[in-house]
Amino acid sequence: MHAIVPPYLLARLAEADAPHLADAAEAARATLALPRVYHPTLTDLDVSVEGDALVFEGSPSPDRVISDAQHRENLPGVRVRAEGEPAVADIAVDEAYDGLGETFDFLWDAFRRASIDGTGGRLEATVHYGEKYDNAFWNGERMVFGDGDGEVFAGFTGSLSVIAHELGHGVVEHSGGLAYRGQSGALNESIADVFGALTEQHSHRQRADEASWLIGAGIFTAAVQGEALRSMKAPGTAYDDDVLGRDPQPAHMRDFVKTTDDNGGVHINSGIPNKAFHLAATALGGYAWERAGRIWYLTLTGGTLTPTTDFAAFAAATLRTARAEYGETSEEAAAVRTAWSGVGVTIGASGS
Amino acid sequence: MHQDPDPEAASPAPAVAVVVVRSGGIAGLTRRWDVEAEASDADEWIDLIDACPWDDEDADDDEDAYAREGDVPRGADRFAYRVSARMPEGPERHAALSESQASGPWRALIDAVRAASPR
Repeated sequence: MHAIVPPYLLARLAEADAPHLADAAEAARATLALPRVYHPTLTDLDVSVEGDALVFEGSPSPDRVISDAQHRENLPGVRVRAEGEPAVADIAVDEAYDGLGETFDFLWDAFRRASIDGTGGRLEATVHYGEKYDNAFWNGERMVFGDGDGEVFAGFTGSLSVIAHELGHGVVEHSGGLAYRGQSGALNESIADVFGALTEQHSHRQRADEASWLIGAGIFTAAVQGEALRSMKAPGTAYDDDVLGRDPQPAHMRDFVKTTDDNGGVHINSGIPNKAFHLAATALGGYAWERAGRIWYLTLTGGTLTPTTDFAAFAAATLRTARAEYGETSEEAAAVRTAWSGVGVTIGASGS
Repeated sequence: MHQDPDPEAASPAPAVAVVVVRSGGIAGLTRRWDVEAEASDADEWIDLIDACPWDDEDADDDEDAYAREGDVPRGADRFAYRVSARMPEGPERHAALSESQASGPWRALIDAVRAASPR
């Protein structure tokens, strides 16, 4: 059973002190604690029978609104599908709606984070932005998707990793932000790719060694020689095309690209922290969000990063997180240190 | 005066040349478009170029590129543009623009170069 739980029921659940209702009571209290100034809080309530007990489990549910820019460049566009409304006859709208839902589920299931802002805030997206617009972006408030030109890009909503990447930028901003330039910008990009890859892996229940680690698989047209925008497993190998050239991502600090384009190569040098995450995740094995993803997430949200954090400072911060969460001599801490060392980012002996 | 016997080199230098380089976007792909015009059809291009506020460029240093609220950068995956133009008179002009700055006359010039570019 799924329902939108009325506040009086949540309040009663929150006050329940029967041991077998402890989880439900905690979830209800968490739900009640969510601010509801701007939006009503939606909650999924699962009711099941265990022995002679009735078990209630609450979890937040997404509040999605998809708008259609109708090929203009004005935001937000016309509202076409809101939470709980049935699918419409527009695949971009439904893909965006479903992709936001998958990302919401991932954030809650993996990190107990309710939406981009952590408090269940609305997820808003606009599709059909511009004429033959070759991009998807985060504007600070919503995800925006073009349709692609049909020559290089076949559209952007068909890739869950692209949708989750944009949402990941929102999480980065709500966590204090990373300036969108140079190394901090490349970290911003890399963390968005981590959210993208992990959401796709979570959706398919893929373990680290089973996953493609591709970002944006399937968004190129058949005319392009390439399988995706980026490969976290093998940066620099995602495409090699007559028109687009070769994937310029480095996988090691010795190949760091200095450029003024792309805000100082934020989508290029992100290959280095991307590969570090892949190394840590595959060294630890299992579902990548459970340990490597958790370490990266806790580092992002722990309040120790500054807007201009660089690769070395972020690497040291992930090691501190791993030590604090799993122990000084844990395999997690060792995997994190080895992963950064594998891409040429050295963390001092003290971990700073 | 061209003395070079090479027939290609014998053609007169174009009166106007414009190059647009677009980088960034979620793909991080750099695309380049350019156009060259002879004196006979340069007027339209010169009008497009003159309409742009070249002296106000320096978008890279403009906080509008990634609008900030306090210390929090907002937005990601937008395009970034570099535009350069050569005309019969005056020095070559250059501008670096964020996507939000590439509007109005800049957008008209960029769209025209893209439309006229071989690919």
